[in-house]
Amino acid sequence: MAKPRSIPFAPLVTLAATALLALSGCAQSSAETAPAPETTAKAATADLPAPFDGDPVSVALVRQSGAGDYFESWGAGAEAQAALANIELTITDARNDNAKQASDLEQAIASEPDAIIVDHGQTDTLQPLITRAVDAGIPVVVYDLALTDATGVVTTSQSDESMATGVLDQLIEDVGAGAKVGYVSATGYAALDRRAVVWNEFVEENDLDVVFSTGKVTDSTASDNIPLVDAALKQNPDVQAIFAPYDEITKGVVQAVSQNNLSSSVKVYGIDISNADLEVINAENSPWVATSATDPTAIGAAVVRTLALQLAGELEETDVQFPAITITQEFLADNDVDNVAALRVAEPTLTLDTTLVTDWLPAAS
Amino acid sequence: MTIPPVTTSRKTVGASGLTGLTRSSFGDRAAAGVVRWGFVAVTILLVAFFAFTEPNFRTVDNLFGMLKFIAPTAIAGLGVMMAMTVGGIDLSVGASAGFAVSIAAWTMVIGNQVGGVAIIVVLVCGLLIGALNALLIVVARIPDLLATLTTMFVIVGLKLLIVDGKSISSKMSLADGSTAPGSFTADFLWLDRGSIGPVPVPVVLFLAITALLWFLLERTRWGRALYAVGANAEAARLAGVRVQLYRTFAYMACGLLASIAGLLLGARIGQGDVSAGNSLLLDAVAVSLVGVSVLGIGRPNAWGTALGAVLIAVMVTGFTMIGLPYYAQDFGKGIVLLVALLFSFTFSRRRTVVVAGSHTN
Repeated sequence: MAKPRSIPFAPLVTLAATALLALSGCAQSSAETAPAPETTAKAATADLPAPFDGDPVSVALVRQSGAGDYFESWGAGAEAQAALANIELTITDARNDNAKQASDLEQAIASEPDAIIVDHGQTDTLQPLITRAVDAGIPVVVYDLALTDATGVVTTSQSDESMATGVLDQLIEDVGAGAKVGYVSATGYAALDRRAVVWNEFVEENDLDVVFSTGKVTDSTASDNIPLVDAALKQNPDVQAIFAPYDEITKGVVQAVSQNNLSSSVKVYGIDISNADLEVINAENSPWVATSATDPTAIGAAVVRTLALQLAGELEETDVQFPAITITQEFLADNDVDNVAALRVAEPTLTLDTTLVTDWLPAAS
Repeated sequence: MTIPPVTTSRKTVGASGLTGLTRSSFGDRAAAGVVRWGFVAVTILLVAFFAFTEPNFRTVDNLFGMLKFIAPTAIAGLGVMMAMTVGGIDLSVGASAGFAVSIAAWTMVIGNQVGGVAIIVVLVCGLLIGALNALLIVVARIPDLLATLTTMFVIVGLKLLIVDGKSISSKMSLADGSTAPGSFTADFLWLDRGSIGPVPVPVVLFLAITALLWFLLERTRWGRALYAVGANAEAARLAGVRVQLYRTFAYMACGLLASIAGLLLGARIGQGDVSAGNSLLLDAVAVSLVGVSVLGIGRPNAWGTALGAVLIAVMVTGFTMIGLPYYAQDFGKGIVLLVALLFSFTFSRRRTVVVAGSHTN
């Protein structure tokens, strides 16, 4: 039996402990020096009012998911706007795990922040916790989250009705009533459910022949929808148009259409916009012909402005909707738009720089 | 937290154990002490650090919040631990928990039953899943890793078939256009949202199950037999232990614990989220692996697993409070797991480490 090797355990443990502490140490400094996203912020022309004129205001941002172009840009906009308003954001990302989001919100409430922003989520899961936060006197702003009891809550959303309507008008204009169409989306998400309502109305009014309905939202939505749409296309290669009202899904649909060599005969209609989306739309022979856009960075910033105005007692509404515009492949080509910055120039209404701004709080994006 | 005394009946694990310590040098004793208490020290250091820097961390609310948040992971991890005591592993715990969420939702929302019925149905399903694993491993003699991986796919698939791939929520529209008759009942939601005295129900369950399993494993003949099967099934058989029976028991216990974890998740989400449980497997396995090494015991054990879960909860909560993004949290978890495995396999003086059927010397 060999004598056990002597190993310097104590230094190792110390090292491990130091590494963990160092990790956390890095975090704080990186949070402070986090690179702000490109901003074209106008300078404030007035001093910050209470409660923003003292110590940083602590706000918990409880997100269902921060992954994907849309959510990343949204988060960047929120952080940039928070920095302008002397808000310290504590961000949690549940990565589409609804139980985790419930825990995150619960822990946020327990930490008694000055306010809470809830970004997306499931109604049944979050409603009781939001009610609890309101009862605890914590101001709550929700974004794209349907509530059954919004008492004391400021609700914000993109106008999903206007988004879906704009794109579907374009679809009818392109392929006409009675066309064979496919639908790729998921249920149980407030935004997608609101878009589905508009879709169902269009199907009815225009006598559309829905040959397939599929789709799901996962932690890797784009790639997980490819096999679903691929199978649907193999079954229905004669489909004329596909409505995929969420850009991560749309990208999966575009991929499936391309790999089935149907790009010339199938038109894809999406919703949302990002740099990566623009690249897909602008690609040669891309079937993605129209999308509806808000600028996620501008929206993320506008949600934080909504909260700031609410805390300062200057918000006059309890339900805020951010308008959308419809963008076609043609418009992008005509204006040489290949990124969101260029799109903001070509379509200045996207920046929301006149929405919810005051002399002390200009838009961050 | 009570740290269980090490039992002296560890002949079956084949290590020299504590008896060797009396003759060893101070250096060896210090080394053994570090192996035994290193993780506890890291946890205490982390807690102290977060408590010092973040005022919100050191509240009772936050303590219960953390334990509540980690309870499903911990209970599923205790399930994996049970499979590990007999030298196996169970990769179907996440799927079983997800199955439990959907079945509970189906029973209440579509079946219009009260929460108690849903809980019984779910627990029975958990036992059946465990029995299926045992059947594949013990009777069909498929290696545990492959058998439980297969079960994972079968259960996830079966769940999706039962619920038509949809999340089941209260008052949802059914295929025939009518509205679902039932909803999540208050008694079911109590599993997550209720509390006994000041202690949230999931925390009570977490601690009670940990204590129960500790008692079972360390204080009863059954526990010794389970460890014996895990250390050397053939020797256990020759010693008169009914090996197949104990392995079946371990997998059924695992299925039951996974379904309890699922009940907690279901009550937390408040709807039959089809994606629930997806992220549970890796955390549960990580927790039980950390558990093997945490207290320097070198074999699957209940308090070690619980402490592993608490460590993860402390890290995730603390890192969130200081503003660390989730991907950095994964890195932190990875480092902890790495250190734990180094302790178990590389630095430990123990010659036999019983983890996931792999016996190292």
